[in-house]
Amino acid sequence: MAGHLVGLRLALLRNGLRRSSWPQQVGLALGALAGLPLAFGGFLLLALVPRAEPRAGLLLVEAVFLLLFCGWGLFPLLSFAGDASLDPSRLALLPLAPRELVAGLSLAACIGVAPLCTLVALGGAVVGFGALGPGLVLVVAAVLVQFALCIVGSRALLTALSRQLRSRRARDLVIVLVSVTALGFNLALQVGARLAERLERSDLEALRPVARVLGWLPPGLAARALVDAGAGRLLDATAELAGAALAVVALGWWWWRSLERVLTTAEPAARSRARQPAGLVPGPLRRLLPADQRGAVAAKELRYLARHPRLRVAWVISCLLGLALVVFVGISDGLRHPWMVLASLGMAFLAAQNSLNQYGFDGAAYWTQVVAGADPRGDLVGRNLASMVTGILTTAVLAVALAAVTGGWLYVPVALCLGAGVLALSLGVADVVSVRFAYPLPDDATNLWAVQGTGQGCLVGVVQMVAFAAQGVLVLPLVAVVVAGLVAWTPALVLVCPLAIAYGVFLWRVGLGLGASWLTGHQPELLAALSPRRPA
Amino acid sequence: MSAGDSPQQGAGSPAALSVRGLRKAFGSKVAVGGIDLDIPHGCFFGLVGPNGAGKTTTLGMVTGLLRPDAGLVLVDGVEVWRDPVAAKRRIGVLPEDLRLFDRLTGAELLTYNGLLRAMAPDVVEARAGELLDVLGLADAAGTLVVDYSHGMRKKIALAAALLHAPRVLFLDEPFEAIDPVSARTIRGLLERYTAGGATVVFSSHVMELVERLCDRVGIMHLGRLIAEGPTDQVRAGRSLEDAFVDLVGASHAGAEELGWLGTWSA
Repeated sequence: MAGHLVGLRLALLRNGLRRSSWPQQVGLALGALAGLPLAFGGFLLLALVPRAEPRAGLLLVEAVFLLLFCGWGLFPLLSFAGDASLDPSRLALLPLAPRELVAGLSLAACIGVAPLCTLVALGGAVVGFGALGPGLVLVVAAVLVQFALCIVGSRALLTALSRQLRSRRARDLVIVLVSVTALGFNLALQVGARLAERLERSDLEALRPVARVLGWLPPGLAARALVDAGAGRLLDATAELAGAALAVVALGWWWWRSLERVLTTAEPAARSRARQPAGLVPGPLRRLLPADQRGAVAAKELRYLARHPRLRVAWVISCLLGLALVVFVGISDGLRHPWMVLASLGMAFLAAQNSLNQYGFDGAAYWTQVVAGADPRGDLVGRNLASMVTGILTTAVLAVALAAVTGGWLYVPVALCLGAGVLALSLGVADVVSVRFAYPLPDDATNLWAVQGTGQGCLVGVVQMVAFAAQGVLVLPLVAVVVAGLVAWTPALVLVCPLAIAYGVFLWRVGLGLGASWLTGHQPELLAALSPRRPA
Repeated sequence: MSAGDSPQQGAGSPAALSVRGLRKAFGSKVAVGGIDLDIPHGCFFGLVGPNGAGKTTTLGMVTGLLRPDAGLVLVDGVEVWRDPVAAKRRIGVLPEDLRLFDRLTGAELLTYNGLLRAMAPDVVEARAGELLDVLGLADAAGTLVVDYSHGMRKKIALAAALLHAPRVLFLDEPFEAIDPVSARTIRGLLERYTAGGATVVFSSHVMELVERLCDRVGIMHLGRLIAEGPTDQVRAGRSLEDAFVDLVGASHAGAEELGWLGTWSA
């Protein structure tokens, strides 16, 4: 049985590689490349630091073990939807006892990039603490118990939560969490590095009580057993090891019970919170948006922005980028000029990049527009309206935040007018590109990085790059005028405002006209481009 | 597309649907190989055929979703591919794969459809409320369509197709994967709808249903309409299923190959 499950896991890994497109394979390779430095970094850390800094040894091992344990608990939760081998209910129809399953799944869980990296990193502890003699056996045992804690703990938590994780709501949340975690991890690394530099030996003493508490958690027990065994305190080490092993058994029992429940009880029907029917157009916008097709399309786009995980992620990421800009300006004295408020234009430009494939999220659901005989021009205007609302809003928030940091309040209206111009002209380009080079975005919200229509991957990249360049070139005259104004006579920037809006709106209308006139005769062709290929 | 002959055009009451020489090929595979069809007003028309017969492709071309290689389609006397906007005002569609804007709630989806068709907001609201009530979706009006069951998705898509009171309704497999209660609701709604003079064209695998509901049937096979006419005439004294199997020709293989199926394992 265990052999079959191990085989299944290997086959899934292999076929996952074979079936994925080259961008996904590149992604996997990058993932492996990121895992290797972590593995060897962990190895070196555990192997070298204890010998160089014996006093820091225990705290370091405790911290690493705890991090590994938590990481193993967290990451499978995030990849649950994308990894078929993690979902125990898929095995529910097979005549298997939980005992066989626990054995087989444990072995299967030891296979993969993550377990390998973990083992390599933990191997460092054997080198760092192992001394020839009976202690070595205990050191190796401590490392293996820590590994078992990671594996069994992770699977137990996953199985216990598997039902909740399969809900649409949880999957949506996970998508957002994954992306924010990825960004946040980078940030935390930077902050952590800064803090580590300032760390003094006296701070280490202050952390000693923390170490004492951590030492009683299961990974802490394993860490203490490791350090004690390395130092020759074999009796202490044995007792601590027994404690950690007991925790493994307890987690295993929890896993078994959860498995029994998942495999033998019926899943309750999914229940989702019903919203108060409030109409299609969000309340505050009811006066702003026209009560016709354009308003309906704009409202739908805004609703999607709030409800679709992929769009939410794009939104959150632009907000984080804006925040980073504000922080950057705030902490660097050289950048704290009043005219830095104009940097919020970058946000307007970035916001428009999300519009280069305006029909992508419709996908095959675009038939709704086609069958309704929706006016292509009104359709595009609606989409542009939604992008305009969100783009102006983000630009305004960023401009105000920058003004608060730099004191350049007078520049806020200028930034807004310029922002509207930049958005408008970018949307003009986007209107042409998104009807002529539409491609469907994966309907499946489980994998953030999934790309559909992989054959088009390269073409899509080129088209988007060209569109980006075109938008950049069209923005240049505005940038030139602004720079000239800043250099020559700042009050002249007031004159730039109407100019920017007129220029932007003119280019928008040109783009809109081109896009709409092509779409008028080609709605079925756009629908075909947006529908996943299927054999006739 | 050639203008073709269109006998109904200009007559007092053109057919609900007229199709002449409709063809579509995907690469070298001919999906629909020349179809001629006339469906009178007030008719309940069933389109049946085995998988891959070309039913969905035909419905796609007739409703303006898939451009035909050749042929002429008239809905209520209006050429679908020459004047799509006018034609689409007359038709409602429930496609097979049910891809909807599913991050909207049921009520929002109906409002969206109504406004797309340039209906007055208050009319949309009133009709949407009635449709949700009749189809038993009133409690789910505020739930995202992505959280609907398959049957609920069919019903909300049907509501969206009916919202503008079309003269001709095209339904692709409306009763597939639907529970009996929902099926009865939909059936009742459609019968009432045709009694009022509207036309329903639907494709289905369920022969008994087609036999019971439809006054006319068309049988498609390999991209061609191999039989078409009043249901009783096509049946010719047999059940529709027998007629269908006779016309399409089923294979009888498999009986001796799977002999072990009767031997039970421990």
